[in-house]
Amino acid sequence: MGVAVEVKTIAPPRLHLVFAGLGLAFLLIFSWVLFHEGTAEWRTTQARFRRLETTVKNPHQLAQSVSVAGLRQIWLPDLGRVDRCGTCHLGIDDPAFTGAPRPFAAHPGTWLSTHPTDRFGCTACHDGQGQATDYANAAHQPQPFVSRPMRPLETIEANCGACHRALDPPDAPRLAEGRRLIIEWGCFSCHDIPGFEGLTFRGPALDSIGYKVRPGWLSVWLGDPKSYLPQSRMGKFRLSPDEIANLQGFLLSQRAQAPLDNTGVDWKKADTANGRALFGELRCVSCHAVNGRGGTMGPELTRIGDKVRRPWLFSYLKDPHRVQPDTPMLRYRLTDDQLRDLTAFLYEEYSSAGAGPEPTPATYQDARLLAAGHAVFERRGCASCHQLAGTKDTGRIGPSLAGIADRDPDELPYGSNIVRHTTDNYIFLKVLLPDTLGQPSSMPTYGFTPADAAKIALALASIRKTDLPASYVLRRPAPVPYRPGGKFGELVTRYRCLSCHSVGGFGGDLSTVPLDRIGSQLQHDYVAKYLLNPGAVRVSVEARMPVFHMLPEEATSIADYFSTVFLDDSIEQYDTNFTAAETRRGEELYGQLGCEACHQLGTKGGYVGPELSASGARLKAGWIAAWLSTPQRYKPDTLQPDYGLSSTDVRALTAYLSSLGRRDAAKARGGDAR
Amino acid sequence: MRARASRAAAIMALALTTSVACRTGPPSQPGDPMLDAIRAEERQGDLSYVESQGKHLFLHYCATCHGDEARGDGQNASNLSPPPPDMTASKSILDATLLEKVITQGSAAVGRSPLSPPWGRSLSRQEIDYLVAYCQSLSRKKTQKP
Ligand code: HEC
Repeated sequence: MGVAVEVKTIAPPRLHLVFAGLGLAFLLIFSWVLFHEGTAEWRTTQARFRRLETTVKNPHQLAQSVSVAGLRQIWLPDLGRVDRCGTCHLGIDDPAFTGAPRPFAAHPGTWLSTHPTDRFGCTACHDGQGQATDYANAAHQPQPFVSRPMRPLETIEANCGACHRALDPPDAPRLAEGRRLIIEWGCFSCHDIPGFEGLTFRGPALDSIGYKVRPGWLSVWLGDPKSYLPQSRMGKFRLSPDEIANLQGFLLSQRAQAPLDNTGVDWKKADTANGRALFGELRCVSCHAVNGRGGTMGPELTRIGDKVRRPWLFSYLKDPHRVQPDTPMLRYRLTDDQLRDLTAFLYEEYSSAGAGPEPTPATYQDARLLAAGHAVFERRGCASCHQLAGTKDTGRIGPSLAGIADRDPDELPYGSNIVRHTTDNYIFLKVLLPDTLGQPSSMPTYGFTPADAAKIALALASIRKTDLPASYVLRRPAPVPYRPGGKFGELVTRYRCLSCHSVGGFGGDLSTVPLDRIGSQLQHDYVAKYLLNPGAVRVSVEARMPVFHMLPEEATSIADYFSTVFLDDSIEQYDTNFTAAETRRGEELYGQLGCEACHQLGTKGGYVGPELSASGARLKAGWIAAWLSTPQRYKPDTLQPDYGLSSTDVRALTAYLSSLGRRDAAKARGGDAR
Repeated sequence: MRARASRAAAIMALALTTSVACRTGPPSQPGDPMLDAIRAEERQGDLSYVESQGKHLFLHYCATCHGDEARGDGQNASNLSPPPPDMTASKSILDATLLEKVITQGSAAVGRSPLSPPWGRSLSRQEIDYLVAYCQSLSRKKTQKP
């Protein structure tokens, strides 16, 4: 500054003074730069490291180690990153510095063995400003104007998700849970969400809802689904009373298909005690909760009598697939009397006293009301989840979430919420309280707990704008839909096997048993018998196979199909000529290894794994051996530990387990049939 | 009415999680509600990240016997003799080497019953470390909150 002033005021003959002044100024600036660089934070840090190194390493190691002086950086053109973090984090991949003070400590855990720094750098996982060389500018803590400071560990899994696109990366439980919640709540019905393509989330079809529900229930439901069903997956749309009335009239007029005829049913003869027994036997609670307990695949039934009309319920139980072709609900083989008893039981047991008499279905004549209801239906995107013939396909009504993690946090709305402006916080608030961000929002309020909202937000925060190079991305191939034909296909469709079991990864996961190699696991005759009267194989599991009331020939044809198609050749051939010595040794091992901690045998043992009392009549020997050798290969997260057994020991245990529950084998062992 | 009530509940919950998190760290203004919600879940913010990873694994692999809070009251505990000990009161968990040995090689490896299974071949090194960290955190809970 001083220089500029001099230039203006001084006359030409004094030019040498100007040069002298300028020279001095340059000298000052130059020496300041030298001084500043010489005492830069990273230099003093490196000096501290060199002192530490002499205490950590022995002279021999020290002589071999690379000298640290100067900036160190990792350049990853594929990821578009330059990370200089190693300038100060000098011991990061050197185990000798485990437990050293920060910033020199080795990276904790085994992360760097799977994510080496020369391939991943640091900021790909941790965020922060990789090019900075001092603590503050690297944004170890949130900094003003830095949109991506380092992530605290609690939310770091969002960055795991950028590469790990398979649904549940190991070691990232929050991300996995967030993604599971996204699937459970069907966020992708209204939003395009990268990574969730091809998934469908379906509410019930509404074409005949006029026959199905009670008018009073419908207006309450439209006002706030949670007031009827606290676990409802339908959010609250914050509709005005007028909108509710119009929508109610419009929906109740939808009567495309009358329920199945029930004029022959004599309701006076209904035996609700038998209905109750059936309710238990059919294992309805595997999928439907009552009074807060039971499965979540279907809707809770606690107040079903307040919701639906009796003729509809009867008809639905008789053939659920007629009303809703893609429902996971199976079609039991029940007589009309049984259906009547079950309907009457549900209707009486699970309704509140004030439900009142059932009004007859009415068509609303007011054209203005119908048009207004129709308009609400389309405006709020009801068709994203519910099928209704004659309505415009509005597609995904919400904005695409592609690249949401890279939106500029300062351009996002936060309403009156006093929060730090970060994309994370924006997504979180939007998920939790969509109408508090100071903009009109048509996103319904789902009533998530803050913890669930945070996990959903975390999963969404892994969706970056630019795609990473393919070599970094881990995807799980989408399962190929499995739709067998013929008689077997018909049975699979009727009994909805794939609502709970999977084949080739396609299907449900309510059951712990995928069907891919079921024919090599279970004996044919056992399957045929089990399907007719499925009992509990695992005492502790609540969801059980329903009693389908299947015909014997149906059970046999399923068992036949299993034992000809669902086979694993690698475990089929197994020499089952066990010697008595092998069986005895197996029994010994069974005790030594503590198998009874988890498995029941007779009346003794734990509830964690399946009961083994009759394993000789249930399991195929090849499967027992294969499972005992490498359980995690067949089920990665199984509670069955890998004991590292030798093949002789595996064979002995197989011999012993194959002898259980088989009369012939028991005799050979000396008569003790367990 | 209902609308306002549920909104109020959600905002309350938000405020609550924020205040819980604030007790553990210096109050930061304005807040990070997403981070706070996650922290609040891990035993009121008492578990470090590594320990909470261990807790997730513990709930999956161990809780049927040991109980959700490792008090030896899992669903399967009554079938075990000897039963799993209340780890929050156990001295063994102070010794990281012993813990690691029990977890990787089973309780038989330290001269006890074979009822706690060996996980060394089923879980990764990293997962075992997480479990050890979580088991060790159980003693801290005891000393901090009498
Ligand atoms: C099948 C039931 C069962 C399962 C599953 C199980 N344990 Fe155990 N665990 C036990 C029993 C029983 C004991 C007591 C053994 C004894 O004292 O002989 C025990 C003891 C222990 C001990 C010693 C505790 C002390 O205070 O002395 C530790 C540590 C332990 N288990 C950790 C684990 C971990 C970690 C897991 C999960 C990865 C696990 N266990 C899974 C049953 C189980």
